[in-house]
Amino acid sequence: MEKKKKSSLPFRLNILFIVVFGLFCLLILQLGVVQILNGEEAQEEINKTVNTTTKLSVPRGKMFDRYGRIILDNEPVSAITYTPPKGGDTAKERLDLAEKLAEYITMDKTEVLKEVVTSRDRKEYWYLLNADEAASRLTAKDKEKSNAEQYQIMLDKITQQDLDTINWTGSRLNIIAIKKELDKAYELSPYVVKKENVTDEEFAKVAAHLYELPGIDATKDWDRLNVYGNTFGSFIGGITSSEEGIPSENRDFYLTRGYSRNDRVGESGLEQQYESILRGTKEEIQYTTDKSGNIVGTAETVKDGKRGSDLVLTVDIEFQQAVDQIVKEELETAIKKNPETNKYLTDALVAVMNPKTGEVLALSGIRYDRDEDQYNDESFRVIFDANRPGSAVKGASVLSGLQSGVIKPGETIEDKCIRIAATQPKCSWKNLGVLNDIDALKRSSNVYMFQIAMRIGEAIYRPEKSLVGYDPSNFQKMRNYFSQFGLGVETGIDLPYEENGFKGSNLNAGFLMDFAIGQYDTYTTLQLAQYVSTIANDGYRVKPYLVKQIRQPVAAKNDLGQVQKAYNPEVLNKIVMNDSYLSRVQEGFRRVMQEPQGTGQAYFGDAPYKPAGKTGTAQNEIYEDGKLIAETENLTLVGYAPYDNPEVAFAVMVPNTGIVSSGTKYPINHMIGRRVLDKYFELKKQRGLNGINTNLEKDNKEEILRKEDVIVEENMNEQEID
Amino acid sequence: MSSKNQNTNIDYSLILIIILLGIASCFAIYTVQPFLPSIYDGQNFVLKQLIWYIIGSMLIAVLLLFDYDRFRQVVWFLYGIGIIALLMLFFNVPAFLINEANGARSWFIVPGFGTIQPAEFMKIILIITLAHIMVSHNEKFKVHTNKTDIWLLLKIVMVALPPMGLIAVQPDLGGFLVLSAIVMSMILVSGIRWRILFSIVGILGVVTTIFVIMFLIDPTLTKNFLDKVGFGHVESRFYGWLYPETYGDSGYQLIRAMLAIGSGQLTGKGLGGLEVYIPERHTDMIFSAIAEQFGFVGASFIITLFFLLIYRLIHIGLQSNDLFGSYLVTGMIGMFTFQIFQNIGMSIQLLPITGLPLPFISYGGSSTLTYLIAIGIVLNIHYRTKEYMFD
Repeated sequence: MEKKKKSSLPFRLNILFIVVFGLFCLLILQLGVVQILNGEEAQEEINKTVNTTTKLSVPRGKMFDRYGRIILDNEPVSAITYTPPKGGDTAKERLDLAEKLAEYITMDKTEVLKEVVTSRDRKEYWYLLNADEAASRLTAKDKEKSNAEQYQIMLDKITQQDLDTINWTGSRLNIIAIKKELDKAYELSPYVVKKENVTDEEFAKVAAHLYELPGIDATKDWDRLNVYGNTFGSFIGGITSSEEGIPSENRDFYLTRGYSRNDRVGESGLEQQYESILRGTKEEIQYTTDKSGNIVGTAETVKDGKRGSDLVLTVDIEFQQAVDQIVKEELETAIKKNPETNKYLTDALVAVMNPKTGEVLALSGIRYDRDEDQYNDESFRVIFDANRPGSAVKGASVLSGLQSGVIKPGETIEDKCIRIAATQPKCSWKNLGVLNDIDALKRSSNVYMFQIAMRIGEAIYRPEKSLVGYDPSNFQKMRNYFSQFGLGVETGIDLPYEENGFKGSNLNAGFLMDFAIGQYDTYTTLQLAQYVSTIANDGYRVKPYLVKQIRQPVAAKNDLGQVQKAYNPEVLNKIVMNDSYLSRVQEGFRRVMQEPQGTGQAYFGDAPYKPAGKTGTAQNEIYEDGKLIAETENLTLVGYAPYDNPEVAFAVMVPNTGIVSSGTKYPINHMIGRRVLDKYFELKKQRGLNGINTNLEKDNKEEILRKEDVIVEENMNEQEID
Repeated sequence: MSSKNQNTNIDYSLILIIILLGIASCFAIYTVQPFLPSIYDGQNFVLKQLIWYIIGSMLIAVLLLFDYDRFRQVVWFLYGIGIIALLMLFFNVPAFLINEANGARSWFIVPGFGTIQPAEFMKIILIITLAHIMVSHNEKFKVHTNKTDIWLLLKIVMVALPPMGLIAVQPDLGGFLVLSAIVMSMILVSGIRWRILFSIVGILGVVTTIFVIMFLIDPTLTKNFLDKVGFGHVESRFYGWLYPETYGDSGYQLIRAMLAIGSGQLTGKGLGGLEVYIPERHTDMIFSAIAEQFGFVGASFIITLFFLLIYRLIHIGLQSNDLFGSYLVTGMIGMFTFQIFQNIGMSIQLLPITGLPLPFISYGGSSTLTYLIAIGIVLNIHYRTKEYMFD
């Protein structure tokens, strides 16, 4: 029995043996494949080294004005940079590096460093010196938490007493401040540790000790230099600092386009709008590393960097400077003349452009800061601030009336207050008698516009009675006519942001009448300039633009390279209106400026360049905490010259001027308009005689001098890169 | 006519194989020592491994004093201790005595000594327990019927499941698989009839096929299922095995191991020729160090040694005329074969990566002692095998 039972065992053990034999054969077979068949490939794979590329920043493109005068330049500055190796350095390694670096550079004065180095920084420093001690303070429960949490707990447990054991001397704070900068760098991407006020001595010392400072380099960085100071600065815009890097909200956008985290990018104005052109192509340097990540041999440039392309702007910087000056002077005069009534007057805004091409010639906005008693350049308000324009928009109202057929060309209407039952009478500034469409513009009749508005609104007006038949949907119809001139819609200017203006939501008949005289919706100064340009340009609405050309970067300091791309005038739309109607409005605008009784004749009647235009005054109310505290006027003016072949169009907006009786009233809108046009034609004449003035007064002489000193140096650098 | 010849000899060939493996182990650890990461600085692994061998040899000597049949008297006591140790790890009591590494709670801390891994000793205990059950069963039921076979199977499963489950949740996939290999090899020889064995194989095959198909149809669902039952990390091992280049985390070790072994080529790079950095090289990845330095020749030598070892074990198993002894040896064969095949196979892309030491070669106290105890038991079986002249 025993034997019988056991008889199956040897057989089954033999089966097990066969299985084992099979498995061992498989091992030997696969080992042969791996070692003998594929062995050589594996060895080659090991011998292969890893290439890592680092991208080095190149200077951004510059900006020139329309006549090739440099506006925005790059200023080379000495910089100490830190490029962490692949995988980064540990905190301890960074501290060692900071200690070595601190022998050669000083981040700031001790008093400043005391502020810079926070309590947390001090704790982190203490932790690095006493890591074991800090770790021993963790409870068993703490140790179950994540490393980050443990680290935070360890920092929290560092007491003031602990910190007092360290003597926080200036040199120690310096080390911590340096390490703080080192901490911000990302692997294989150069980060500027110190740039401001790197002395020649510091630079030379660091350069001489690079061999003992892994990852550190003494190199050049570039700062943006606005050659004319604040002039046009709002529109040139700014770039982020190396510390801010790429904006975090768009991080993926930038990273996928080859940016590093601490790259400086345009964050406003043209710097932002033309980022892709200004940034240039980074220089790529390839390091060969062995398996453990050590750099072998010397770095090799695999892709030459190329400085960003230059922009040639449409702006005439000399004219821009002059317009800024005019606006500032006039604002100052107006405020000084009636300081009490003008206590809410702060801004004066001007936009000047070529009505045929859309090239922007100058954008100027000055704000008076009452607290500091100074006048600041805040020209962004030309596209950011929207105000009621007043009668300046009447050209659009008359054209709406003509095109919709509610008035016929030359139709006369008696300028008599509109009296609707139970409402305030709506009048012109005085009773103007019987007027046709052209004279209604010349003398700025409100009543004529009210009639157009009521008729477009299909309202039947009988004096002292309520309006009958008004259809609010016609409000949109009128707004549509206006938008063909750019009023209430984007002008299309090449900037990252522009304001469209505010559209009132109450659509009753009274507001439609206010709309027709520019007392309802608000517009920006640039929208008004586009509107008047459209009238000047025979109904073609052109897009205002700031960048005329993109030029190849060249090494020479102030030279322009080849044209890489030229921007041509762009017609956005042609107003859907009969040309003969348009010429009636043009004639009306001419009469405003050039004929007796024209509202602008007193200021423009003697101008040799024969301007046309439209004046405007809008009532404005100032509210504070919901309470009306003052009534003011927006003084506006739109115009172009010469009337028969316009080459310059402009809009002036001075919001919130005080209301004063006509005798002492200072017509700031007219003064600015006249002086701007005078200046334009004066410059034109001068250039006809003497050519372009390339030697303008620069903003900051000291800055310029400093720049001259380093020109040679920068040229050398640029040649290397171009 | 059969004269009983009390042939109480020691199996010197088996001892020779173990001595050769011990030399290979100390030598391999010696060559790896300078390439270990700095956290191991100051530790002399060669000396430690030598000490383990010496302690193990003494244990063998002690084991030889007793008849291995005595194990049957203490088998449930041993099983109980093993299970309690695993339960303590599971409930993490006492916490100060338990060491957690790489996310697995598998070790007890013995102050002033190091760590011990109960799962290693559990392997031997399970072999003894199963052998005992099978012998008792077969003594009771002389004739195999479907009913008795299923009853035996049930007993085997009931004994094997608790340790397997407790080891799986540590999680220690390698340990779990070794226990599975032991159970399967022992079921094979238990006398259970082929029709039932084929049914089991068939069911396992179907379950595996269903899993593979499920995975191909809806990988996420399968992944969630695996996560739920606590085998989430298995899936990434499979990915790392099939696509090591794409699944960097789990494929990294395999790529490094393949580079090291492959670049050893036919004859190896010679002593100290370790170009590729591989983590845990003195323990689970020791084979890659041998294959890189001594090439196909050296690696084959080790594999041949192992084959001779298994061959010798099977020989002893066949020779033994005591059922208990044969079953014990079979369990050892299952344990060794699986560990050898898994450990070497995972570094040459035959199998997914699993944390398992290479028996006798990898550095490690618990494992080396376990395997030496196993050899001690085998020697004991051979020592007490009565040879029938005309058997």
